Amino acid sequence: MFDERSEQTRIERAIARALKEQPISRRLFLRRTGLVTASALSLPAILAACQAAPAASGGAATIRWANWPAYIDIDEETGGYPTIEAFQEATGHEVTYTEAVNDNEEFFGTINPALDAGQSTGWDLITVGGWLIERMVRLGYLQELDHAKLPNFAANGAELYKNSWYDAGNTHSVVWQAGITGIGYDRDQTGRDITSFEDLLDPEFAGRVGMFSEMRDTLELAILSLGVNPADATTADATQAQQKLLEAAERGQFRNFYGNEYYDELAAGNLALSIAWSGDITQMQLYDNPGDVQFVIPEEGGLRWTDNLAIPNGAANVDAVHQLINYWYDPAAATPLSEYIGYFTPVAGIAELIQADADEAREAGDVETADALDAVAATVNPTEEQIANTHEDAPLDEAQEAEWNALFLEVMAG
Amino acid sequence: MLNRRGLIPFLFLLPGGAWLLLFFVVPMLLMLLVSLQEGSLSTGYSLTWNFGIYPEVISEFWEQFVRAGVYALITTVLTLVLGFPMAYFIAFRGGRWKNALLLIVILPFFVSFVIRTLNWKLLLADNGIVFGALKDLGLLDPAFHLIATPAGVISGLVYNFLPFMVLPLYVALEKIDRRLIEAANDLYATRAQAFWRVTFRLALPGVVAGSLLTFIPSVGDFINAELIGSRDTTMIGNIIQFQYLTANDYPAASALGFVLVALVLLLVAVYVRAVGTEQLTG
Repeated sequence: MFDERSEQTRIERAIARALKEQPISRRLFLRRTGLVTASALSLPAILAACQAAPAASGGAATIRWANWPAYIDIDEETGGYPTIEAFQEATGHEVTYTEAVNDNEEFFGTINPALDAGQSTGWDLITVGGWLIERMVRLGYLQELDHAKLPNFAANGAELYKNSWYDAGNTHSVVWQAGITGIGYDRDQTGRDITSFEDLLDPEFAGRVGMFSEMRDTLELAILSLGVNPADATTADATQAQQKLLEAAERGQFRNFYGNEYYDELAAGNLALSIAWSGDITQMQLYDNPGDVQFVIPEEGGLRWTDNLAIPNGAANVDAVHQLINYWYDPAAATPLSEYIGYFTPVAGIAELIQADADEAREAGDVETADALDAVAATVNPTEEQIANTHEDAPLDEAQEAEWNALFLEVMAG
Repeated sequence: MLNRRGLIPFLFLLPGGAWLLLFFVVPMLLMLLVSLQEGSLSTGYSLTWNFGIYPEVISEFWEQFVRAGVYALITTVLTLVLGFPMAYFIAFRGGRWKNALLLIVILPFFVSFVIRTLNWKLLLADNGIVFGALKDLGLLDPAFHLIATPAGVISGLVYNFLPFMVLPLYVALEKIDRRLIEAANDLYATRAQAFWRVTFRLALPGVVAGSLLTFIPSVGDFINAELIGSRDTTMIGNIIQFQYLTANDYPAASALGFVLVALVLLLVAVYVRAVGTEQLTG
């Protein structure tokens, strides 16, 4: 059942897309960007990238990777993943890519019993949020990374994403992509610019507001609206934030508490505004919504998060997994990936490379692709202002986490 | 004393009985033991015979228990009301189309449960192909929506579980001896009387089986409430899922699961007793 649920967002989007007309179809966009990225992803570049970590002596290996939906470049003509295919071709390894993570908590819930019993989770590489990395390191669930096998990370990793609070020295994880939790809104529906967390609680939008089912996202945004930095928040602050949410929830302010599926509700116009992830709104503007969808960091502050690559206990082919991790820190792979998914990239210099592709497209007379790439180039790095306006997750100990979960369940389940 | 022939029925019970013992009774006992543990992720959980968890979870989540029961009950009644005429038509008027009609009833099962529910959600979206069209025609208030309401969740449950009601009803109706209805008519029963006193009574085993097959999965369902519902439609299945997967509170999740199974068994016992066990076996 959970495997099916993880397919949910992808299938739902596919059906929703089939049901409505779009100004630029994603497929068309891809065909265009594909032309540009094909040149960036030349075989020699990839071979060079993989030289540092020679293929495992045993030869080809299989890597089972659990990632989130809509987090990889897709060739919708073939259904394949161009960057992964290039890796497979260059190394001979096989990557079994699965969109198995829909929610950090839930994913942890599915692998915890195996890890607790010392068995394999069935995954060789997982992609999870920073706070979950901290928990899994604490529980001894992750293997240490061998940085000698990750020269690209040392060479190309952006300083902002190294050495974070949840994994000092990157001993167990490196960042996959990053983003901001803020507010997404459809200006046609709200009729005004949204600027503040309080707008989510405005009775004018009753029943058309989306919240997140991840406790940290929703509760910490509410904590920020009290003028408290989540990193310093006490349970008393969390309780005060909960009361604020509860009051709104009880008068029917929120349509529902969503995981990834808020995207479709917002794109379909069922929601006027919602808590949202930055990269999603970029994608929605480009592909899925003909209306006026905007992303804003609430003036009280937004949340800055990362998703991270890590190797769980019981993983097989650890050498090959290191090769794959190293591969993502090669600009030749990171550029086409970012051009497609548009989140913050932890690899330095990608914005410039996307810009170069945009210029190339413009010279070739493909204005539409050039405009789209220009837009992406502007979003793959946070601006100074965005960094100043956002905070990282609160490091919670186990008791605090249980208390906050109980507080949040009351808001979410009524 | 049982002779060899008397033992044979019990031998037939053995494989199924062993299966139930291994995959139902043993897990239930394990669940009971987990519910009586205390601890946390890092310290691990250990058995402390903490029976206090039961009053605790019931007092905290009784509302969701009641809601699940009410939704499941409404679902059962609605599937019966919708399903009976369907089954009746197929059994009595289906003719050579019987098999084709039954196939149509079963057809949704060719698609997975979750995807069916998602399709339902898309179909009934605020501005989807049904309500969007009605709103464009001015036949519906623009603010109307079914998704994120209790009616929406129940509509999803009815949609998903309707075949479980139709099939047993069909089987029961199909095997009714038509001559009994003729006899009733010969004895001056009106058509309504003949239906109520002969057809419906003889179909009761199908009604009992169908309502059990609809009620039991509905009461524990969390997919419909999660995908179609809102915070005000949270059912007990959603709470169990949250406790198990998100809060990692295995004892509370197990206690809730155990209470749910016990309540369902109790309800089924009362129901079957009230209607009469012979109706189950026909």
